Amino acid sequence: MPRRASSKLHPAWFVAVPLLVAAAIATCYYFGSKISDPYRTINTLDVLTYLENANSLRGNTYRVSGSVWNSLGWSPTAGRLFAVEVGAGKPGDLLPLLVPAALNHVNLQKGQRFVFEVEVVEGGILRVKSLRKE
Amino acid sequence: MKRLLCCLLVLNVTALFAQKPDEPAPGTTIIQTPRKAPNTEPSVPLGEEVPVYDPGSEIVSWGGKHWNISNQRIFQARFEKYLNAPEQTDADNAEYQKIIHDILELLSPQNATNTKLYQAYVLLFRAAVHDADGGVCNAVANAVATAWQAQMNQNQLVFTVEELKKAMRTELSKAIMFAGAQEQASSSSSSSGKKGSAKPPPVVGPLEMRQGIYLKEAAAFEAQIAVLTGKREVSALQARVQFQALMLQLFLQRRFQHVVISCHMYRQLFNEGDSSIKVEGQTKEFFTKDLGMPPTVSTLLSLATEAMRDIREGVQAYLFLSERNEMDSATKRLSESFLIGEYMPEIRALSREKKRLALTYSQKANRLVSALSVKDYGQAEQLLKDMEIMAKDFDATKPRTAVETAKTVSAMHLAKARNAAIAGNSQTVEDALKQAAAVWPRNPALLEMSVAIFGQSDLQQKAIADFDQLLSQGNLRQIFNDKLRFIAAMATIPERQDKLKKVLEDMQTIEAATARAQEFARRGDLAGAWEAVERAAQQFPDDVKLNQLRGSYSSEAAGFVESLRTAQRLETQGQTGSGLAWYLKAQRHYPLSDYAKEGIDRLAKKILPSS
Repeated sequence: MPRRASSKLHPAWFVAVPLLVAAAIATCYYFGSKISDPYRTINTLDVLTYLENANSLRGNTYRVSGSVWNSLGWSPTAGRLFAVEVGAGKPGDLLPLLVPAALNHVNLQKGQRFVFEVEVVEGGILRVKSLRKE
Repeated sequence: MKRLLCCLLVLNVTALFAQKPDEPAPGTTIIQTPRKAPNTEPSVPLGEEVPVYDPGSEIVSWGGKHWNISNQRIFQARFEKYLNAPEQTDADNAEYQKIIHDILELLSPQNATNTKLYQAYVLLFRAAVHDADGGVCNAVANAVATAWQAQMNQNQLVFTVEELKKAMRTELSKAIMFAGAQEQASSSSSSSGKKGSAKPPPVVGPLEMRQGIYLKEAAAFEAQIAVLTGKREVSALQARVQFQALMLQLFLQRRFQHVVISCHMYRQLFNEGDSSIKVEGQTKEFFTKDLGMPPTVSTLLSLATEAMRDIREGVQAYLFLSERNEMDSATKRLSESFLIGEYMPEIRALSREKKRLALTYSQKANRLVSALSVKDYGQAEQLLKDMEIMAKDFDATKPRTAVETAKTVSAMHLAKARNAAIAGNSQTVEDALKQAAAVWPRNPALLEMSVAIFGQSDLQQKAIADFDQLLSQGNLRQIFNDKLRFIAAMATIPERQDKLKKVLEDMQTIEAATARAQEFARRGDLAGAWEAVERAAQQFPDDVKLNQLRGSYSSEAAGFVESLRTAQRLETQGQTGSGLAWYLKAQRHYPLSDYAKEGIDRLAKKILPSS
């Protein structure tokens, strides 16, 4: 008498499938975020180089990601000057970023993290071209 | 008493003149007087032998020269020589004194005979052998012999005159006889002539001629008698004067024993006539005016006897007073006795031990006089104390008053100099010091003040030089460390005072920064400590202590310092952005950093010019 094939699932499937699904979701999220980051094509500022010789970077545009540490000044015409803490180390380096008056509509508060598109201008000043809240 | 004192003074001076007066001791004032014109008055045997003392000017005149009696150096020398000499009490001196005593016994008025005179005359030669006599007895003996010789010559002259008188009388008798014969012959011839009428011419007859011859011879004899008589009188006067001169000389030499001997002998030798001494001029005035007695042998004998008695009493007084520690009076009595009777046995027999007391006191007194004369009042004061202890009768009133007055005046000048020195009046200081030195040249306070003032001047000059040098080197800390010296030195120099004030203010800033840094370091705030000294070091880069602290704190707060240095460097290079980043980094190290805050504010303003 022929044996009847078994219809029961292997129990490993119950573990693998959620993992795969989670991995798929994570991958989608990752790529989704990458695809949605407008500064993904901009080089990240080499903070050490900047600190050593900012003039060597003059004219370039970089991507700076960091949190607002302090406000250093404000000018109705020139804009606002912030100290932004960058880098992964604790404490990170503080970079002065000039947020021009054109970006006055963006509210920057201490402790908020932002991604800045900055241009190294005369005097090695980092002038923010655009920013996006992280 | 005054007469005796005057006599003593004269005799004191005579002690000098017993020596050679033409060569006075150094320091003795001799006033030469113009030589007098030759005296036209009849010369006298004696007259200028006695020195004359003028108490008003303290000048003694003798032999045409004048001495200032107040200069007593030669007296002191002779007196000290005597005080140091041993006593003359040996057998030789005792024998000599015995002979002198025997002579005086033989010549005493109650024993006056020619035999004893001759015995005394013989003893004179025995006395002259002794050293203590000095040959004076020989001189007396020679004078006696001369007088005897003169007396014998006079006797011979008397005999000759008598013989001449006899011859003269004989001649006169012959002349008278021929005169009678002539007269008889004349009368007989006149009676025969009346008989004749012619008168014969007058002719000198033989009788008349013989009469004239005898008369001439008688006149010649008479003349010879007159000559011999005069010669006898001169011879007698000469012998007397020679003896008187010897007596006067012995008196002036203070040989009083010999004066007594010679006076007694004179009286026996020249017992006829008066005994006055033939003197004139000042010597006569000395006797008549000063002593009030005529110049006679008796006067001389009386003076000599009185002097001998006074010497004996003076020595006894010295011994009595010295036993009672009254050395001032004792020394004066001995000094007076010595000056009068230097050759008297009482003086010569005084023991050396007893004389040493007077010597010590006399030396101190002489040193006191010297100290006062050269204004060494410190030495004088010490001598006064010594003399007061040594002689309870010493009157220190006058010298002490002189010393105290000089000290007071000198102290006043010194006080004036001190005040002038404080006020910086150097001319007044100099004048006051000169006056103080003139009053009391060896004042110890004067020396101390001179050293202090002139030493202070040297210190001031050195301090000024040091200050200028340190200031040029920027070594403010050394100036600050010696600030007391520099403050004192600059007290009278306004322009340097301002510089010193600025230095001290700067140093106060440095010291404040240092103290603040050390306080920060004590609390563990090394960055704050560094920043405190850094700011001061930038202002005073040459301060060693600041630089040491800065170096120390730099290494201890290396992260902060490096951030700040880098920020400053980049700021200087015009790298505003990165410089500001470093300032921010430094501020993160030390949030209270003034440098970081200032840098941030400065660069922020540069980035935001209108803010």
